[in-house]
Amino acid sequence: MIPTPHLFSRRAAKALANSRLQATFARTTGKFLGARNAAFAELPDGEALRDRVAAVRDEALLALDVHLARFVVEAEKAGAVVHVADDAAMARAIAARIAKDEGVSLAVKSKSMVTEEVALNDGLASGGVVVIESDLGEYIVQLAEEPPSHLVAPAVHKTKEEVAELFASKLGEKSTGEIPELVGIARRKLREIFLSAGMGISGANFLVAETGTVVLATNEGNGRMTTTLPRVHLVVAGIEKVVPRMEDVPLLLRALTRSATGQKSTTYFSFLTGPKRAGDPQGPEKMHIILVDNGRSAILAGKYRAILRCLRCGACLNACPVYQSVGGHAYGWVYPGPMGSVLTPLLTGLYGSTRLPDASTLCGACAEVCPAKIPLPDLLLELRFDARMMGLKRPEEILAAKALALATRRAGLLEAIQRVAGLLAEIFVKDRKVSWMPGRLGAWTAKRDLPAPAPVPFRKLWRKARGIGPWTR
Amino acid sequence: MDAMTPLSRLLGRLRAATGGVAGLCATVGTLDVAILPEVGGDLVEAFTEALRSAGGEAFVTGVHQEEVLVALAERLRAVGATGLFIAEDDVAAREFAMALVPFGPFVVFSEADLRALPPPCSAGFQTVDAAVAESGAVVQSTRGGRSLLPGILPDVHVALVPGGSLVPRMEDVLARFSADMPRAVSFVTGPSRTADIEQTIVVGAHGPKSVIAVVTP
Repeated sequence: MIPTPHLFSRRAAKALANSRLQATFARTTGKFLGARNAAFAELPDGEALRDRVAAVRDEALLALDVHLARFVVEAEKAGAVVHVADDAAMARAIAARIAKDEGVSLAVKSKSMVTEEVALNDGLASGGVVVIESDLGEYIVQLAEEPPSHLVAPAVHKTKEEVAELFASKLGEKSTGEIPELVGIARRKLREIFLSAGMGISGANFLVAETGTVVLATNEGNGRMTTTLPRVHLVVAGIEKVVPRMEDVPLLLRALTRSATGQKSTTYFSFLTGPKRAGDPQGPEKMHIILVDNGRSAILAGKYRAILRCLRCGACLNACPVYQSVGGHAYGWVYPGPMGSVLTPLLTGLYGSTRLPDASTLCGACAEVCPAKIPLPDLLLELRFDARMMGLKRPEEILAAKALALATRRAGLLEAIQRVAGLLAEIFVKDRKVSWMPGRLGAWTAKRDLPAPAPVPFRKLWRKARGIGPWTR
Repeated sequence: MDAMTPLSRLLGRLRAATGGVAGLCATVGTLDVAILPEVGGDLVEAFTEALRSAGGEAFVTGVHQEEVLVALAERLRAVGATGLFIAEDDVAAREFAMALVPFGPFVVFSEADLRALPPPCSAGFQTVDAAVAESGAVVQSTRGGRSLLPGILPDVHVALVPGGSLVPRMEDVLARFSADMPRAVSFVTGPSRTADIEQTIVVGAHGPKSVIAVVTP
């Protein structure tokens, strides 16, 4: 998917003007967040669980070369072929070559964010391979030729009427538009694909170094079919998915499913090690694993390493007031919300994506729900600092920040400004509400009122009430 | 080893990124089990409750297997399942399926038949490798050349759980397998589901629409 984060402001404004979309996102994120909170409340010690998740992820990252090397050895021992892709172009080229070598013309895919990141489908399509998405939400947005709008619920922006219309026009399947019927249509259509595709493509939730195992967590059953029925299984995974030991995995899965949808577990946890063995009645004859770097090793080296702990649960999206209002498309790439506002600049360049870390109040809601305790607000603030250093901040922003810093460092200056502002407000402003401001500042008052400065600051009222004189410290 | 392979270049980048040696000293120590969800003392009870709250069904056979057969047959007839699908080598599943036939109309068939005919509404019977009390999951693996199909393709998945194979947690199952991982170990918790359209949960997506566990002594 071609990154367009520079269009954030425009797309956000469009989303904010769409009241149906507003209601959908509010409802969906509210539901997920509520479920997440309920699930964590049931745990004996949710905080300790999160601490442990963060520690396990950090341990893996701290010696990622060792664990990744072990994973490769074990996976190859089990019969898998492991490839390394330095970047997106290489990943596409490797996938296309695998499809060609294995004689594949039809591939079925279960959900994987990294394949969107590297635009894998495009790479395969240009080699003449048809790729069909099998996760229902991804299937829908694929038919609609749109990008997904949420990490966990890709088609959250579509109504059932829109889906019914899509199935009618693109598949020739008419229906009453009731949701179970629509799911039934997808089940039937995709089953034909599962049984005839030459290659199944999946991502990986985790890669276990100890045994060379690929771990997948799914609800729909498409993950199992994709990785069992076709004769070739292609796994595409970011290098940061590696965990050292098998015994770490259940804990991570418990945190992942509760954080994403509030479920104690997803319907299917699949632990896949290598291709079919002699004597197995079914299973892929070949297993290829593409390990994708695409900027991750650079992140590992720097101050943003913590973002690599990300489990892709989507909890930060659901908690974020900005995401709740504008949805996923505004972020212009594969990863939306707070984690996307960190990852998109790091993987595609801060130059085109400064708006993303700016679009945050640093309220910290994301950090409170992150199962891996990634300090997202700190990382966002750090990106703003980097943007300043790279000369990406506008002159008026720099001036405003400097003025604010100056005023807040000098109590006397601040007080003088407040006195004047309070006086002006008393004269010119009705009801303590500023509802119009000139020029660029008008962008604020177009949507909301600004509380006017008080004629007498609280500090003074407090001191007066306490009988403390103006010169007393 | 050729120093110019993409893998060795990647490992070099990663080593440089983390400073190499320091990482080897970092370990997380053993897991404090107290932070994990509690599992009740009676594993069968914990398992059946967990499975039911995940949308599955559970029968426990004691001395009177006949009661379970009658109830199960009724369930299958209610969803219109007439085919009883089993894997060739699953003796216990075949026995159980055959025991159901008198309560039919049911037809027992196996893999060879499945791909040739479009499947009628069917139920897949399978003896599981293990079951997890914490989550209500049944475990299927390919160890010993076992088939996964009875739990993947049919509309109903009937999992036969030998009581002795029930363990408290997922960790316990993985510990059994990790020394020599088979191609696939699958934890199945209830029926397949999706909420991708308007966040409305629909049970029965691509996988089975219902999961019934029969716990035998």
